[in-house]
Amino acid sequence: MIPIESINELSFPGAPASAHSAKPSEIEHEVMRLFDRFRDPLLRYALSFGLSLHDAEEVTQEVFLSLFRHLQMGRSRSNLRGWIFRVAHNLALKQRYANKNRCDTMEPSEGVVEKQSDPSPNPEEHLSSAQRRSRLLAVVQALPETDQNCIRLRAEGLRYREIAAVLGISLGTVSTSLTRSIARLIRADGR
Amino acid sequence: MLIEDLHISDQELLQAADGELPRRRAGVVHSHLAACWNCRARMAEIEGAIADFVRDQRESFDSQLPPSDGSRAFLRAQLAEMADLSEVHSWRWFLRLIRAPHSGAICASALTLVLVCGLILLRTVPRGGDASLAPLGRAALPERDLTPGATRSVAMSEVCSMAHEDVVREVSDSMRQEVFREYGIMNARAGDYEIDYLIAPGLGGAENLQNLWPEPYRSQTWNAHVKDALEERLHQLVCSGDLDLHTAQHEVAADWIAAYKKYFHTDRPLTLHSQIDWVPSSDFAEITRTRIIGDRTIWTNSARFNLL
Repeated sequence: MIPIESINELSFPGAPASAHSAKPSEIEHEVMRLFDRFRDPLLRYALSFGLSLHDAEEVTQEVFLSLFRHLQMGRSRSNLRGWIFRVAHNLALKQRYANKNRCDTMEPSEGVVEKQSDPSPNPEEHLSSAQRRSRLLAVVQALPETDQNCIRLRAEGLRYREIAAVLGISLGTVSTSLTRSIARLIRADGR
Repeated sequence: MLIEDLHISDQELLQAADGELPRRRAGVVHSHLAACWNCRARMAEIEGAIADFVRDQRESFDSQLPPSDGSRAFLRAQLAEMADLSEVHSWRWFLRLIRAPHSGAICASALTLVLVCGLILLRTVPRGGDASLAPLGRAALPERDLTPGATRSVAMSEVCSMAHEDVVREVSDSMRQEVFREYGIMNARAGDYEIDYLIAPGLGGAENLQNLWPEPYRSQTWNAHVKDALEERLHQLVCSGDLDLHTAQHEVAADWIAAYKKYFHTDRPLTLHSQIDWVPSSDFAEITRTRIIGDRTIWTNSARFNLL
């Protein structure tokens, strides 16, 4: 588990205290460290918008190039994780909108379900597990978009205030949204 | 009132699990959970739903994620390009400054400062050191893991009977695409990169992925044209008997920029080898503007230079 204290402000050991005094090479190094840490969570988040892997990779690249500019211009370093996800969120929305205009969207549920891999050796367990996962995915995809984004961001480790900043909503809305989503997941699983 | 009458809401249970409750309230919830089996059971359901969701998210998406090596290498190259561009941009800022009214006094002060700094640098930088040039070359060097260099078995007579076109031979389209895939480069445009041999065919280099990489044409200093010049130079030296073929192969694979400096006796590419020229200032300004919008900034791969 990632220690919350170290990640909230993302002041990595060795990171320059002030961007104004940081050389480009130091900033590059810092951006690459952040890439190593957040590339997979960002890709998962971008894919959850129904983007193709190619588009999701491009969004991720653009996030880190923007981060480089952000740091190079000496802008705020507080809560860089929240900043990174906010830029990814905006770019993913923009890409999805562009794809929609080109009538080139893919159906996320089909792509995701088809590519699932299940290590379960038992065919009955395999079927049951696949069905349960498929049902869970259907429940998530039936949630309002803000609820989906909230729960996915929370699953990537973001705190409530970070989620609120990424999505531009209040802390109370984040809390209500997560509670609603979890309750639906519980009901869908017949607990 | 019985404790069961005061059950904790789902929202507070979730906030407690997420560590989002104020400390005092968290203490109350914790005490309640210790006493109330109903709320503990509900908390377990919430935790179970979270665990299921996280596991399913990972299983659904992680199987789609490719290894990060290619996209990591591409990002590094892009960042190096951006760092180079920022250096160029600062020079343009300086040029605007000296054209401004009352710039004489400012320039005189700046010049004095530069001279003083230069003297200090001359005293502190070791002789032969090229640390100040290193950043300019990073984008022009291949990723070692992906492109270590590879040779084929070749006779000297074959090497030295090659025509110029074979010495700096271009690779096939299918191989170009494979190299782009290997480096995670998507939508590359014709003018952006040369798919170059690390060890040129004219020096016994093999046409395979270990010996090919996307070399940016747009690098400010150490670009594909400069490397082409080195390849021709090494080929001449090998064929005239002044340089051993294995040595040439080793040096160019280890660090072709260092080899260029060694065999052309210079710290920077010769002007006739750097076939680049500036784009009009209006184009440059457009590129710069698109890159500093802020959070929505998208880096464009627009060429900064025109090939002559």
